Amino acid sequence: MMEWARDSLEKIARTRPQRAEQPPPNLDERAVDLLVRDYHPDRAGMERLAAVGPNAGTQRFPHELADLLEADGLLPEGFHPSVDLATDVLIVGGGGAGATAALTLEDSGLQVTLAAKLRLGDSNTVMAEGGIQAALGPDDSTRRRFADSYAGGHGKNDAELLRILCERGPDRIRWLTRLGCLFDRNADGTFRLRSCGGSSTPRVLACRDYTGLEIMRVLRDALLQGQTQVLNHHSAAELLDDGHGQVTGAVLWDSRSGKLVSVSARAVLLATGGSGQLHLQGYPTSNHLGATGDGLVLAYRQGCRLVHMDSFQYHPSGACFPEALAGQLVTESIRSIGAHLLNADGERFVDELLYRDAVASAIIREVVERRGIRTPAGRYGVWLDTPPIDLKKGEGTLRRQFPGLIHRFERYGIDPARYPLLVYPTLHYQNGGIAIDSQCRTEVRGLWAAGEVTGGVHGTNRLMGNSLLDIAVFGALAGESIKQDLPPRGRITLSTAIRYREALKTLPNRPAKAAPQLFPPASGLKVEIAVSRT
Amino acid sequence: MEFPSVQIVVAGNIIQARAGETIVHALWAAGLARHVQTGCVGGVCGACTVSVRFKDGRKGGTDLACMRPVEDGMEVFPFAVDPVPPAPPANEPTVEKLRAVYPTLDRCAKCGSCTAACPMSIPVMDSVLRMQRGEFEAAAEDFTTCIHCGLCRAVCEDKVKPHNMGIWVRRSLGMSQDYPALDQRLVSAGDGRAESEWAYLLTGDEAERLRRAKSFREKGTLS
Repeated sequence: MMEWARDSLEKIARTRPQRAEQPPPNLDERAVDLLVRDYHPDRAGMERLAAVGPNAGTQRFPHELADLLEADGLLPEGFHPSVDLATDVLIVGGGGAGATAALTLEDSGLQVTLAAKLRLGDSNTVMAEGGIQAALGPDDSTRRRFADSYAGGHGKNDAELLRILCERGPDRIRWLTRLGCLFDRNADGTFRLRSCGGSSTPRVLACRDYTGLEIMRVLRDALLQGQTQVLNHHSAAELLDDGHGQVTGAVLWDSRSGKLVSVSARAVLLATGGSGQLHLQGYPTSNHLGATGDGLVLAYRQGCRLVHMDSFQYHPSGACFPEALAGQLVTESIRSIGAHLLNADGERFVDELLYRDAVASAIIREVVERRGIRTPAGRYGVWLDTPPIDLKKGEGTLRRQFPGLIHRFERYGIDPARYPLLVYPTLHYQNGGIAIDSQCRTEVRGLWAAGEVTGGVHGTNRLMGNSLLDIAVFGALAGESIKQDLPPRGRITLSTAIRYREALKTLPNRPAKAAPQLFPPASGLKVEIAVSRT
Repeated sequence: MEFPSVQIVVAGNIIQARAGETIVHALWAAGLARHVQTGCVGGVCGACTVSVRFKDGRKGGTDLACMRPVEDGMEVFPFAVDPVPPAPPANEPTVEKLRAVYPTLDRCAKCGSCTAACPMSIPVMDSVLRMQRGEFEAAAEDFTTCIHCGLCRAVCEDKVKPHNMGIWVRRSLGMSQDYPALDQRLVSAGDGRAESEWAYLLTGDEAERLRRAKSFREKGTLS
């Protein structure tokens, strides 16, 4: 097994006994700051200003995203929307935030339509592994939880949003359990809480290493038994407005028939998730097929500012061998219960439970300074030494607590209980996004946003377990806010989108792309619109 | 190291692929992504169900295209499974309650097709038998890793719906569970320190707040 790395594997096996007793390498605050400054991909200078829109000339975006913000729309020129479907609330996005909002609106008497680009549940939510945070431990409080996340986010967090996230945590966990979510528990019936990178006391709840799957399948099951109209395979191609700056619906594209569907809605909620499939700087991603930043583009065209869009999360432990698993997540929990990160010489080089941006930067430094391990496919990574977990906690621990990890690697003949894994940072989460207020309202009337598509709550670095809670808290808040603040129905026009399109035409260099992108270019999936001519 | 080229056939299309890559990635490279419905590309959403067969007589079977590496001579047949409406879970679940909503529970002829079809290696048939006996805790444990791809249901000749019953059992048990410690925390009006601690954390400009957060998190109290 992994013969090509035999020398390095032997070194690791040799250092294992002495490492078991050693404390992690100690870096002071200044050293950590320098590490992030010098090695984090956000600091690589791969951004530029956008030339149009609400952040024009003021905020920097990764090139890949700036290109999409300056790209032409998908709709054929001269397309005139006429109402194909009228609903009260249109939710765009079939992941955790959209499903939570739909469930929150169940008892409202409003007609709710949820459009999913893929199928309901095919999302980043379902792929989340390690857990969901709530301040439930004996030494914990909502304030301590806030302080950990605020320090982790470099103080860039919207303090009001973060306070809401922290304070509503326990209530949202109770809501999920009432729906039937099963989280791992101790013998006395209390939740088993784990630490994560940057938590000062244990507070991550989990369902093995399938926490997102557990939450998403329960939300989906509940949603399918309710009144929500679910439109699978329907992407939002453009938002509609009333001609006076209020969002009044969306033009959906049915990927099965190629047809456009113009939806009139009194409220539109963007819950379109993240953008890992943009593969910023060529990084692999842990994200699902549809994570192409669609919501950012749609909202930006309507005049919504985007915040912290120069900040992305590169999860420290993305798999980098075997090649078929490149970029896929190896949960942080595995580090929190004792797996060490090691360079080619078998040396530990960072405290594995620093904040994610620091750990990712440390891994990148090892590789840049030629202490990484090269895979047969030409990728570089460092070791995540998993065998000590079973040695320390008893044989079978990994298999019981991390069935997903075992299942994925076993297929390739790798038993993480016997061999270390090779990891390298993978593009994991969009820290920034659409600016929202404490009611999940965007800056444009009629348009709400929740979940990964929004920015502010996580600052410029998110903690593990804060995104699953984000969708549960803010998905619900968006639903509640829509109930209380539902505008009257307006006419549907493309006024704002056309104005944006005209502004684009003045640019000297326009990207030869159309947006929203909907699918990653690598997939070869194309957006082909069947235009009915009348 | 070079990755040798292998030849596979997907829905009748001959594709040259790189050994070691998954069926999904081979389809993307060949411009044939539409042939297999895809979702997470990470083995947890259950969209990309396929059936594979080998010309040399080796055992094939169902799998997820995003997880299955290509092999020379592999034939791939798309096997999309549409969902069926689920039944509402029940408090204090019993076999009678399960049978009332899934009347095909007892039809299982113990052929084992469901277990063979499961890409997550769940002992599906054994778990159906456990449900028949009311061993719900064990059945819930079995279905911990269920991705609801629907293959177990699609291959069942007796119309048993194992994965639907699996989530019914899990949700029913979950809903029936008491969480006294959590409930206690939700009704208690805080610990008296909340107001002063929030005031401390939310005072000052960005730099000052960051300094305060870093200091506060060490002990989690102001004292």
